[in-house]
Amino acid sequence: MTVHEVTRVYCPVCQAKFRFSEGWKAGDIVVCPVCGQKLRLEMQGNEWVGARPEKGQEKEIRERVDEYARIKGYVFNDMKEELLEGLLGKNRRFGDFYCPCRMEHVPEFMCPCRPTRSGDVERDGKCYCGLFWKKK
Amino acid sequence: MATKPKVYALSTCPYCKRTRRFLDEHKIAYDVVEVDLLDDAEQDKVLEEVEKLTNRRSFPVVIIGPTIIVGHDEEKLKKALKL
Repeated sequence: MTVHEVTRVYCPVCQAKFRFSEGWKAGDIVVCPVCGQKLRLEMQGNEWVGARPEKGQEKEIRERVDEYARIKGYVFNDMKEELLEGLLGKNRRFGDFYCPCRMEHVPEFMCPCRPTRSGDVERDGKCYCGLFWKKK
Repeated sequence: MATKPKVYALSTCPYCKRTRRFLDEHKIAYDVVEVDLLDDAEQDKVLEEVEKLTNRRSFPVVIIGPTIIVGHDEEKLKKALKL
């Protein structure tokens, strides 16, 4: 049996490892296909990881949620700006962009949170806090 | 009204903010606990209270006399406050 090793990139936001595309090199900016985070490719040890070029900045979370919605085909409603304000508040007070409507400040609740990435929007029509909505 | 309404909220949650804005706009005096800003020991105590009242950890929670409202719901607030 032949084992085909797939090179992967670790995303520090959603903690997923996504496939490394041919032609990518250190320093390239790519987008995590799982959570929409913009990443700069770096080799750490013998693994590819994505660094967050604008970590903690408003630009980072705005681009991430827009990109995630684009990837998934989700839409926003008029709560978007208030929810983004909440995400910025979480980052100021608790160190990262955790869901503004949850108590827990753990990696799985970084926006887009794991329940969202696991299909909450498909099932319920929206994510827990109502940032991402399924298109009607 | 016998006792002031009590709001359990998260400081970052926009629905909690809307509930508080609604009460402010209707000039309702209320007590508020911003659960995420409490220190650890106090937070555990309050979360236990909230879970006992609502069986979940969802915010805002508004207590108006015997009525418990989970989530921002202006119709329920109006009814409970007889507005």
